[in-house]
Amino acid sequence: MSQTLTMKKMEQRLQRADRKHAHLYLFCNFTALMIISAYSGMMLSPTVQTTFPPGGDSRKQMNAIFILTLIGCVVFTIYAAGLFFRHKSRQLGILMALGASRKRLMPGLFREVLFLSGFSCTAGILAGFPFIWIIWSLFRLLLIDSSDMRLSFDPVCLLISFAFLLAVAAFSCLLAWHYLRRTNIMEVIREEHINEPVKEPGKWCAPAGCILLAAGVLLGYCTPIFYFHEVQALPPVWMNLLYAPAFAGLYMIMLHAVVHGFGRRKHAPYKNIIARSMMKFQGKQTVNNMIVVTLLIASACFGIFYIPIISIGTIMGYHAQPYDYFYHYRADQTLPDRESIETLAAEYGLSLKDWGEFDYITLAFGALTSIMEEDGKHWHDEYVPICIEKRVISEDTWNTLTGENIDVLPGTYLCITNQEETAYSMINSTKHITNMVTRTQISTQYAGLLHYDLMTDARGYCVVDNADYALLSEGLTDDWKGRIVSFNVDGKDSYPFADALFHHMVSCFDENCFTAVYHNRITSIRAEEQGIADWQAPDPMMRIDPAEADSLTFRQNWEYIPRFRILSMNDFLLSTSVFLMMFLFIFIVCILTVLIICYTRCQTIALNNRYIFDDLKKLGASPGFLDREVRSQCGSVFRVPAVVALIAVYLFFILLLYGNDGQLVYSEIVSLGACLGIEAALSILIYGVYRVTVAGIRQKLGIFL
Amino acid sequence: MLYVKNLYKSYQTGKNKYQVLNGVDFCVEKGEFVAVMGPSGSGKTTLLNCISCYIPFDKGEITIGGTDLAGLDDAGLAHFRNTQLGFVFQDFMLLDGLTIRENILVPRIVQGEVSGEAEELADRLTALFGIQHIAAKYPAEISGGEKQRAAVARSLINNPLIILADEPTGNLDSKSSRAVIESFGEVKKRMDATIFMVTHDSFAASFCDRVILLKDGSIYRQLERQGERGQFQDQLLIAIKEMTE
Repeated sequence: MSQTLTMKKMEQRLQRADRKHAHLYLFCNFTALMIISAYSGMMLSPTVQTTFPPGGDSRKQMNAIFILTLIGCVVFTIYAAGLFFRHKSRQLGILMALGASRKRLMPGLFREVLFLSGFSCTAGILAGFPFIWIIWSLFRLLLIDSSDMRLSFDPVCLLISFAFLLAVAAFSCLLAWHYLRRTNIMEVIREEHINEPVKEPGKWCAPAGCILLAAGVLLGYCTPIFYFHEVQALPPVWMNLLYAPAFAGLYMIMLHAVVHGFGRRKHAPYKNIIARSMMKFQGKQTVNNMIVVTLLIASACFGIFYIPIISIGTIMGYHAQPYDYFYHYRADQTLPDRESIETLAAEYGLSLKDWGEFDYITLAFGALTSIMEEDGKHWHDEYVPICIEKRVISEDTWNTLTGENIDVLPGTYLCITNQEETAYSMINSTKHITNMVTRTQISTQYAGLLHYDLMTDARGYCVVDNADYALLSEGLTDDWKGRIVSFNVDGKDSYPFADALFHHMVSCFDENCFTAVYHNRITSIRAEEQGIADWQAPDPMMRIDPAEADSLTFRQNWEYIPRFRILSMNDFLLSTSVFLMMFLFIFIVCILTVLIICYTRCQTIALNNRYIFDDLKKLGASPGFLDREVRSQCGSVFRVPAVVALIAVYLFFILLLYGNDGQLVYSEIVSLGACLGIEAALSILIYGVYRVTVAGIRQKLGIFL
Repeated sequence: MLYVKNLYKSYQTGKNKYQVLNGVDFCVEKGEFVAVMGPSGSGKTTLLNCISCYIPFDKGEITIGGTDLAGLDDAGLAHFRNTQLGFVFQDFMLLDGLTIRENILVPRIVQGEVSGEAEELADRLTALFGIQHIAAKYPAEISGGEKQRAAVARSLINNPLIILADEPTGNLDSKSSRAVIESFGEVKKRMDATIFMVTHDSFAASFCDRVILLKDGSIYRQLERQGERGQFQDQLLIAIKEMTE
């Protein structure tokens, strides 16, 4: 056999024997590429690209988390490569000691790392797509299936995966070259035993870290808001740097956890001293990994919290609706009348009750508006007497609709908002209300708020005195008038009826009515009168396609979208399915990355220190003692980032919700409760993987309890 | 054969500099079996690593067989190490994925070819060191003494100018130690090999022709064997006691 043993064959034999050391490297590369190709495949898929509004917060969030996931993948790929070469370096060192030149060793080593990284990365890329398909299909099968959810890929996503593959291969070759170019062969041989200690900070490290973390978050979040209001300009991009102290704080907390650990040791100063010393001497990488893990857990929670935050408030709102069916339409449109709706309801075995029909008119309200300066950064506020379009009802209509008995003073108006007073359409700066057909104008002033959830959308309703209403409606054409219809179903409602009525109604509107709710006719009229171009006209976002009546865009943005409780409740998940799917996917990917990083880091710490465990055994350490040391190390890697991330992201979310409108409303408190439940479930999952990791390490170190 | 002249070597740890070798001068003649002894931290292993060119040295000159090692480039050094030096390490340094026979042939494989002559030599060496019965086994399947004898065989496969041994009995029991050290004696006798060994074991050193005692990076004393091995070991023990007092 040895007659044919050449250098190449010897290297192949050694590579085969080393396969077990390569498993972690292969696994990490495979998983990194699977995660990256799946995430990029999902993120760049035409479905997600068309659903997530360009420039919107959700898209920014998705992109930011992708970058963080990418960093996470880079971390564990680098780490796995480092671990692989640590094992490999002994072999390289022996061959170098026996006279193999670097030139002689280089081709074989490059061949090996290129094969391993190429194979594992290609397999990872290929696995990424079935991975998406499985999650996508399970989501459709078990949770939501909608017409929006068409799985398709943009081949561009492969570019990201292949770029990462090339980076992995290049980094592996660089690392191989780095090991080979070392002049101290003894260092190469003993590489496995070389430590990476960190400087020991004082005990002040963690408290100072917590203060910096909190200060960074508060500064980063509050300063741009303060700047926006006080300077009346868009916050400059550099203000994001104000978050920097948070990262420094995070580093200090992790450093403290690694060097000192947490918990009081006054009465047991030697408790876990060995585990802490082992951690300290693997410190640099451990601290870096823990920071990445913390950020990934925070990102995962940030993604998944989106689901309860948007769904709970909305679903609670549907439950609180006083009518099962509530819709409005322009007076120049012909919609089904009461008789035809009752006939349709009868087909579904339903009878209607509480029928109500009310008139409204659409008028121009004056408003304080922000005018952007020529520099595109600063603005000033200016009152424009004819500014925005609002729907107006009379005080009598309000009293009939709600059963209340209010008296609106002439020359005043009240804004209708929701119970939680979070509607964006409230306006309190109006001094003039104008009939846009006759240009009749009255002076007015804001008189307060009324509450009615069904009459809040981006356009918004106001209530005026009966006499003012009569005066302002005089001479209005039908396209400035409208009707509100409300009714209940006697008994249990039927989704098919609601769906049929909805689609029938959509088909009754003419083309002019398929505009977005934030389309402002006043802007167009003013532009025409001033002889300037109407910026709304060419904007595709201002038009709504009736063919997409089941889509999220249609249901969220159409000006005349009816409020049918059963339809809204059932279709809420359908219409938001792509969002929910994407954020659930982000959560899965981030947590998967976290668990892999923690698992590999724990394996590394334990295996690099196996000699210490052997020595401890020789010194008579019991399996129980050794087990405690293993648990102490792994516990820090899993527990500290999880606790810091879960607390920080939770507090940050409270800050976000509070910062939206300066209060925490009931639905937000319920949503925060749901987020707490998610954190509890996530903690259980992390604890489960921690247990599995500890069990695996125990087995590898031969600790049998 | 081996000339070491005015050799200096220091290590830097943070801001602290530790002088390990402090102007070491000595030579080893062809066919001589020389040991270096000294307390921990005296610089024995550093001296051997400098001679092996595993670590760079600060100042001085090392020549082996007339070749100045400082004048060789990486490739030349690797070639020299492969063809002119034989190595025996304390922890054997056998490759786990190869059989004992293949491990013995590694220096030849590194050269690029394994001739029939090399294979015959490998077989003769396994026979000489009494390890032919384990030639097809893997390192994990044999004892420490057998591993070290395989390492000695490997060090001879290229018929080197000198064998450099670092604590070759350090990880062995007394029986295996004796077998290994006797194998060195056998090599010297049959092949006229030159051996330079670092050891802390006076029993192993007593088999040598000459022992260099190293203290604080400098040569404290050199002792030559004249007479029985047992007597020489006693002399060594007395000298070591004097040195450490």
